[in-house]
Amino acid sequence: MNKTPLFEKHVALGATMGDFGGWNMPLWYKTGQIAEHKATRENCGIFDICHMGEFIVTGKDSFAFWQKVLTNNVANIVDGQAQYNFMLNEKGGVIDDCIVYRFNDEKWMLVVNAGTQLGDYEWLKKNASGDVRIKNISDNTGKLDLQGPTAPKLIAELAGREAIEELKFFRFADNVMIGGIKVLVSRTGYTGEIGFELYCDINETAKLWDILIEKGAKYGITPAGLGARDTLRLEAGLPLSGSEVGPDVPAVGTPWEFAISYDHEFIGKAALEANKGKLFVYAIEIEGRRKPGHHSKVVLNGTEIGDVTSEILAVTLGMKPAGFIRVNKELGMDTEISVVNPKGQSFKAFVKENPMVKGTSRKKMSSML
Amino acid sequence: MANYNVPSELRYSENHEWVRDMGGNRYRTGITDYAAQHIGDVTYVELPEVGSEVDKESVDCTIETVKSSEDIFNQIAGHIAVVNDALQETPEIINSDCYGDGWLYDIKADSDDDFTSLMTAEEYEKFLSEQEN
Repeated sequence: MNKTPLFEKHVALGATMGDFGGWNMPLWYKTGQIAEHKATRENCGIFDICHMGEFIVTGKDSFAFWQKVLTNNVANIVDGQAQYNFMLNEKGGVIDDCIVYRFNDEKWMLVVNAGTQLGDYEWLKKNASGDVRIKNISDNTGKLDLQGPTAPKLIAELAGREAIEELKFFRFADNVMIGGIKVLVSRTGYTGEIGFELYCDINETAKLWDILIEKGAKYGITPAGLGARDTLRLEAGLPLSGSEVGPDVPAVGTPWEFAISYDHEFIGKAALEANKGKLFVYAIEIEGRRKPGHHSKVVLNGTEIGDVTSEILAVTLGMKPAGFIRVNKELGMDTEISVVNPKGQSFKAFVKENPMVKGTSRKKMSSML
Repeated sequence: MANYNVPSELRYSENHEWVRDMGGNRYRTGITDYAAQHIGDVTYVELPEVGSEVDKESVDCTIETVKSSEDIFNQIAGHIAVVNDALQETPEIINSDCYGDGWLYDIKADSDDDFTSLMTAEEYEKFLSEQEN
């Protein structure tokens, strides 16, 4: 199994380690998942995300390449801006979800998931033509996510207020110096809170971690594992690649339609158009205090209409069971459904607005400094 | 290998349950430190009914965490003598004290064969170190 440069630090912190996409990652530390989740919503969580993949794409034909392999329209972003995207196969299924970063018209970065990284790379190479060079820099790139309402104060203290005060949601600043380390500071994340994804040289990652932990103490910084990352992202209404979206399911009817721009041609577009109205993904809340369990089905008026794709206890909502469902029928807000687990136990649930928790992610940066 | 507490007086299963001999053919069971650390924050425990009959390896108890749901495999055939009601309100004591206040239930056993067939602490520690590698 792969290890990040922070492996020894996680073990020293008493983390429970687990396999994620072929990487041995911290699931939670001694503090526990619930405390880490709350710390991120209230103060600041720091996450080792070195397992994710990064590709640099350069060349005159990069723009045309992205228009072909990504669902969003990269014409809508300017230099220094990032954009959420799906990468589809011909069936309209999601090979991966990803964020594309535009340095300029001929230099871009794509950030992808850990387990899908090699497949993504092959897919991109296969579909590249003309002057497009794709370099997989994952092994040389460290990534730390700093998420939560006090994250801006910490980065402002370390990098200078001017480095981030104009940084809007989904914008990034390259070559920001933090403790002598060159960092790409991206105002993005997977928690619904304001914060940053920090990219640096893989060999500097442990040093950056130490600086953030030391200087972040007064801002309530808490190392958080992939367990909290999952409950935070679900509350924030964000999909997990392979669960809510995946290669075998056309990406139609999801809460993430904003990632798809039908105003240009891209791989998988025809399949999406052919499948419109056939599948829907919704956030749900479940009555009581128990989760139904994995592999549960969704039943409406006695008819099975789909699957539960993720389930958690929503910590921010007072430990309410919640999740996402994928169904073959359009459902209105607050529609009552039944969720039935493999043991045959039935739970009453309701379709809910997505996201269920509105965090600080879109707040004006200057108001958080 | 990470450090796990493995009390010497208990017996253990490969599914990370522990069993304590309470005397008089009565056995107490719970989950080990290894299991408690690996399942994460416990949020709900579904306990068996007092008086119900249980078999070796039957699933009569489920522990839920924020993310997942874990079946507990019963190790001693017999009848449920008493369950740990404190878990209804404070399931998190499984995380804080898995061998003490975080016990699950007691069984009145049919015989002591099931107990003696379980791993000793020494055997379980060896099992853990093999599993970690």
